Amino acid sequence: MNSGFAEDVLRRLSGYGQSEVYVSEAVVHTVYIDNSRISNIETKKDSGMMVRIMDGRRQGKASVSLARDSAPDECLRMAESVLRYSPEEDDLKGFVHPAKGRSGSPDVWDRRVEDITPEDLRELAKAVIDSCGVQIPRAQIRVSTNEGVTMNSNGVDVSHRSTLVYGHFTSMTVKDHPGEGMETYHGTHLDLDPAAIGASLTRKAENAAVCTEFKGHEELTMILPPSELGDMITSSVGEAVNGENVMYGRSHWKDSVGSQVASGCLDIVDDPTVRAPLSCVYDDEGMPTERRPIIEKGVLRSFMRDSFCGDSTGNGMRRSSVEAQGAYERTPIIKPLNMVVAPGRYDPEEIIRQTDRGILVEKFAWPEADGLTGRFGLNVRCGHIIRNGEIVGTVNNALLMGNMLEAVNRIEMIGNDPKHMGVISVPTMSFSGTELVGN
Amino acid sequence: MMQAVMVKAEDVQDLMGAAVDRMQELGAEFSDARSQTIRVKGVSSVNGGLRQLVEKSTGGVCLRAWNQGRWGYGTATSFSKQDIMKAAEEAVRNAAGDGRTDLILEPVRVKDHRKADVKIHPDSVDLDEKIQAARDLDRAQAIDDRILNRIGSYSEEVKDVCMVNSIGSDITWQEVRTLCRAMSVAADGQRMERYYDGPDSTLGFEVVRDADIEEIGRITAKEAIATLSADRAPSGNFTVISDPMVSGLLAHEAMGHASEGDEITKRRSFLTDAVGRKVASEVISMYDDGTVRGAHGSIPYDDEGTPSSCTTIIKDGVYQGYMHSLETASVLGCAPTGNGRAENFGKRTWVRMTNTFFGPGDWDREELIADTKDGILCDKMINGMEDPVGGCFEAKCLRGYLIRNGEIVKPLQSFTLTGRSVDILSSADALTKEVILDGGMCGKGIEDWVRVSSGGPYMRARMIVGGGQ
Repeated sequence: MNSGFAEDVLRRLSGYGQSEVYVSEAVVHTVYIDNSRISNIETKKDSGMMVRIMDGRRQGKASVSLARDSAPDECLRMAESVLRYSPEEDDLKGFVHPAKGRSGSPDVWDRRVEDITPEDLRELAKAVIDSCGVQIPRAQIRVSTNEGVTMNSNGVDVSHRSTLVYGHFTSMTVKDHPGEGMETYHGTHLDLDPAAIGASLTRKAENAAVCTEFKGHEELTMILPPSELGDMITSSVGEAVNGENVMYGRSHWKDSVGSQVASGCLDIVDDPTVRAPLSCVYDDEGMPTERRPIIEKGVLRSFMRDSFCGDSTGNGMRRSSVEAQGAYERTPIIKPLNMVVAPGRYDPEEIIRQTDRGILVEKFAWPEADGLTGRFGLNVRCGHIIRNGEIVGTVNNALLMGNMLEAVNRIEMIGNDPKHMGVISVPTMSFSGTELVGN
Repeated sequence: MMQAVMVKAEDVQDLMGAAVDRMQELGAEFSDARSQTIRVKGVSSVNGGLRQLVEKSTGGVCLRAWNQGRWGYGTATSFSKQDIMKAAEEAVRNAAGDGRTDLILEPVRVKDHRKADVKIHPDSVDLDEKIQAARDLDRAQAIDDRILNRIGSYSEEVKDVCMVNSIGSDITWQEVRTLCRAMSVAADGQRMERYYDGPDSTLGFEVVRDADIEEIGRITAKEAIATLSADRAPSGNFTVISDPMVSGLLAHEAMGHASEGDEITKRRSFLTDAVGRKVASEVISMYDDGTVRGAHGSIPYDDEGTPSSCTTIIKDGVYQGYMHSLETASVLGCAPTGNGRAENFGKRTWVRMTNTFFGPGDWDREELIADTKDGILCDKMINGMEDPVGGCFEAKCLRGYLIRNGEIVKPLQSFTLTGRSVDILSSADALTKEVILDGGMCGKGIEDWVRVSSGGPYMRARMIVGGGQ
């Protein structure tokens, strides 16, 4: 990646109090499947830069795609212009200062991604299609190389490179009342297993096809597999430990460091040292990252912060865990790098066996808790009703309701089946005290 | 006044013509080239401090080659001839392989060069005034100590598009979107609740100058505080009066996604083969109309160069038809409807909505509430999710009110609506006279965000309601 112009831009900004240049470059290959047929293949090249300036109590910020040779000049001019208009602020904390990161990068570069061809992608997509026993109405496999450089006037000069592999697949039975399944793959390496994905898609679609409408209203235990739990944790716990929410007072856990916020069986660390889509030695502001306990035995240990909040923990990120394109456009925000929920000792089948009255949710319409309140009321697309340790029926068209910030205090069991879902690795878990309502 | 130097769409028109020629030489049956430059300014003010002040410019070219029923894409963020030609070659290569030979695209040949239909172009307005709008929205929310966070934001997007294709279309146009928004977070030591308001549009800065910023900020804060005393919504099957925003969410999620042509060609929609069938009560009519002046989802052309249009989806309860891209129109033997859209030059083009809404009825809002013995009135939406396969939907409401004996008796905190789309629309029995559209972003599945609006009148129907704890 050619970052020479970044140095040049930074040099030209030397008259200002502080400045920062971030450059990213990505090459993205995507294959799309429509109706169990490869419908199109894309090749994208994407590069751009963002300039941030602080001068006295003013700030300026601009980003451009590197569409032509004069783009860095345009970016600089735009940032300077914004700076001139910026009102004066009292609480600008400045960019990060250089600090030595740990030696040794996490294993986030796969040479096979760098060398991939459209033919390779076709073969991969074909393998998924061939291994799926039902229709694949819509799917995509996207592989990318992702490189970035952060430089600032404090002396930060760090770079990062990683590969991303992302797959999103839907499946459907072709019956009068079809059932739909979904599967995703998040990773840095081309370790996607077409046969396993095909089998899962087949099973999920067939399960959904035999759902019956849930009727009534009951309190029960919810069992969420990684596919449904990942976003539920990041949208609730992730927001509660987000330093900006803490700073603005809108985190329910803002005064809870050292306090019990969850069941004693819950341990969460943010671990950027192992293979995961956002693992890195430095964050996108140039701050060293580290393995950091967030919750230990249910006790809140720390928040995640970026330079805007001050006392950065190395969580200022522009990159996405699923999409390499457009990193340069994004202002750093606080993100988990690799939030790992410690797995437990139970097989998912054992969790079902030990549940008297519950629902194992195979698919929500969209798994998400409210970031401010923790509340959720989610449409169950496919859920298995459990009575006395056995699945007795499969339902849909119901709402499962609860509050995720309260649910983490009512954890019943934790599975031994962790899976990466974007910025989180999470196993199957069960929570008591949720409600299911149907027609 | 700030005026950045940008790559204008016209500058690359010849290059794109050459790229289309190259794709045709390499064997494409049809090809198109679309350049975009997108300029964004964003300001946000939080609790009196400037949180965000940014200007962005992205530009690039999307080249598509159609061969044997398959698209190949090549994308470049560079406007150099060498890079564009390379992307053109990649597009043809990516379209290679065995496919269907019976699918012939039938694009409309258009020559048009159109400016944005705005009174006050955002480029003509000093950044100072935009910053002030965001700060005023923030400040106006400072009405009570229980307001924990005040957020005032302003954003504008100016998109220049240039489109050339192999049947001789040659189009340039500009889309301008301007919006400002207030959001208050209120807290009382136990609970936190939020409320938001503010205009959005495909109009210019007149949207801000015509808005009563002080009133928007004040009302937003007042309603956030009022929500602190809201009760949990009851759960079960209820009579629900959706407000225009939630009506729009129902139109979009319950019927809109399922009416996208690609869902029909895959037989993935419960509305496949539904034309002519009764899918709602006779009071329901529904449209997708990309030509509504000023609406957030309006576009002069889609990303394939097809003029936008109004598609009648439901008329008096009877299903009428689907939205189409060039490809789905070809598969189903219909005319394209101007719904082939992409998030940007680097994303796939497929069938997407524009402005989707239910038509009006003949009730007044107060009359409708007074006529409802027991029910729930919705007030603003959070988000929703479609279910074209299962024929259901999920709609999250920011808050609502409990109605008893024709009167609003208390506010309700956020809750979710669900049910089978056809059952719900078949139970609809009353709609109000005024249709209001509300702008937002629509993802298809999990990504590919495009700007849309949705709306309708107040609508009464039966739905499943569930309130989070």
